Amino acid sequence: MADRIFAGVMLLVTLAYGWLAFFAISAPFQYDPLGPETWPQILSIVTALCFAVILLRPDTDSMQVARPTWIRLSLTVVLLLGYAELYERLGFIIATALFGTLASRMLGATWLKGFLFGAVIGVAGYLLCAELLELNLPSGLLTF
Amino acid sequence: MSEVLNGLATGFGVALSPFNLMLVAFGCFAGTLIGALPGIGPINGVAILLPIAYGLGLPPESALILLAGIYYGAEFGGRISSILLNVPGDAGAVMTTLDGNPMARKGEAGRALSISAIASFIGGTVAVVLMTLFGPLLSKFAVAFSPSDYVALMVFAFASLASLVGANPVKTLVGASMGLMLATIGVDANTGVTRYTFGVPDLLAGIDFLIVVIGLFGMAELFHLVEQQATGKLKTLPIDSSFVKWADIVFGRWTLIRSSLIGFVIGVLPGTGASVASAVTYGTEKRIAGKSGTFGEGDVRGLMAPEAANNASAAGAMVPMLTLGIPGSGTTAILLGALLMFNIQPGPLLFTQHPEIAWGLIASMYIGNIALLIINLPLVGLFARMLTLPQHYLTPLIAILAFIGIYSIVGNPFDLFMIIGLGIFGWILRKLDFSLAPVILGFVLGSLFENNLRRALSISGGDWGILVQSWQSLFLYGLAVLVVIVPLILSRRRRA
Repeated sequence: MADRIFAGVMLLVTLAYGWLAFFAISAPFQYDPLGPETWPQILSIVTALCFAVILLRPDTDSMQVARPTWIRLSLTVVLLLGYAELYERLGFIIATALFGTLASRMLGATWLKGFLFGAVIGVAGYLLCAELLELNLPSGLLTF
Repeated sequence: MSEVLNGLATGFGVALSPFNLMLVAFGCFAGTLIGALPGIGPINGVAILLPIAYGLGLPPESALILLAGIYYGAEFGGRISSILLNVPGDAGAVMTTLDGNPMARKGEAGRALSISAIASFIGGTVAVVLMTLFGPLLSKFAVAFSPSDYVALMVFAFASLASLVGANPVKTLVGASMGLMLATIGVDANTGVTRYTFGVPDLLAGIDFLIVVIGLFGMAELFHLVEQQATGKLKTLPIDSSFVKWADIVFGRWTLIRSSLIGFVIGVLPGTGASVASAVTYGTEKRIAGKSGTFGEGDVRGLMAPEAANNASAAGAMVPMLTLGIPGSGTTAILLGALLMFNIQPGPLLFTQHPEIAWGLIASMYIGNIALLIINLPLVGLFARMLTLPQHYLTPLIAILAFIGIYSIVGNPFDLFMIIGLGIFGWILRKLDFSLAPVILGFVLGSLFENNLRRALSISGGDWGILVQSWQSLFLYGLAVLVVIVPLILSRRRRA
């Protein structure tokens, strides 16, 4: 069933891709006989056929993910989105310390060890990557 | 022959510079560690560290030497957790659990680890020697390729991908074609027409390769680790003082040679890498040994075969990448993309135009194999201790490394959301048994495939017949048909 849903959604995406290739993409003038539209047209046909086959003959019944796992995965996504959102605003050190603490706590560390992990990675990671290797990382609230 | 010697001299000149030597050593060490940690394989390790290597501003040959070291280092290290934990460190080490772990349970962990280290070394070295000999030959053969021959080569590459990777060929094929579709986003270089950009300026130059790689391999791996989160603690078997004996090597010499050769050939085939190579050689050795073998209960040959093969395949996979511009495995697809980011198009001319890259890489692999043997024999206890590193620290660390890598390229926080989205997509694909390697292969080869097709049709003035006119292309189409049919016949015969 999971297979069918995925293949169905992707088939729609592919059809939209193909529709654009057949009716929207065209060059005002071109020197090669194929132009920019032929290749996407071929791809959309092949891909649509493949998804149609999967839709008719699926082989993976379900994702087999238990409810607690779904919750853990959704929490991970939320944590990652928060990390991305705060990355520039708070800066690498604070955002990483927060993310490291919460993520390792969620995955089974104690609060104290999780906090230590987050703080160490935040500070050491910044010193190593931004100061020593001169990579571009946001300093955010803490300015040096 | 003198050309090979000259090339090797150039290569060692590059690889023996102190800075590059340090990168080889670091790459091999990091690779062994990445391979040893259960779950994270070479492809994820290279993906996660690629943007950082790029951000450091290394010259292209140094970046390639480092990333390649991580790649074959991980094939080396994958065996450690297979033997000690009975959990494969990566996909290429799955077969190693079958005989490696029983040996460790019998109290021969030290022997199993040292035998497999030597098997890995032999596999890797045999393959690099073959690469040195055949790489330049293949590139000379391919210099004469016309655009239509390249189209045939691509068809062969995708045919062998669909036929040999994954259980369901349709899913492999659709993965590759999704990658090809992703590659069409952006401005068409021939006509200046925008395709699928929907007016978003960030998409004009196409979707960034690094974002696709980190999303599909780094972040998807992270979700996979969170999902698999083990509750109990993994226990490693102790390493005892038993060690490889000369007699073991003499006993397994034919196994080592056969497996290295088979591994190399499978590595060269586009798209197929370590997991196929180790499975095929294990099966072959088991059949050859027949009743005399104790496969599955700790047979030395069952340990040597997959380990020699997975290292040989890693070097083999680099041959088509360097000489034809077609990656031999998922990980080399990422290496190819890395070279493209440095504006270097791997292909038949690489050996003459950029000898420092092609030969530097080959020379560094000779050094790397020796370095890995040294790292892996005495220091194996250190890696074994790291296996017990709790997953709840390792998993967040992947996200932190991925964020550092992506942010440090252009400093655009929007990219961070992109990799999270692609990571979710990649995780769903994996859950539904689509393999991800074909997607990246398609993405990397997309523009090459399309441009050669268009060039061929320009030459012929729109006549599709040009695609089947040269003997090279007919030969490649023949190979493509073979690679699809032979496995079908073999599996039918096995069932009958």
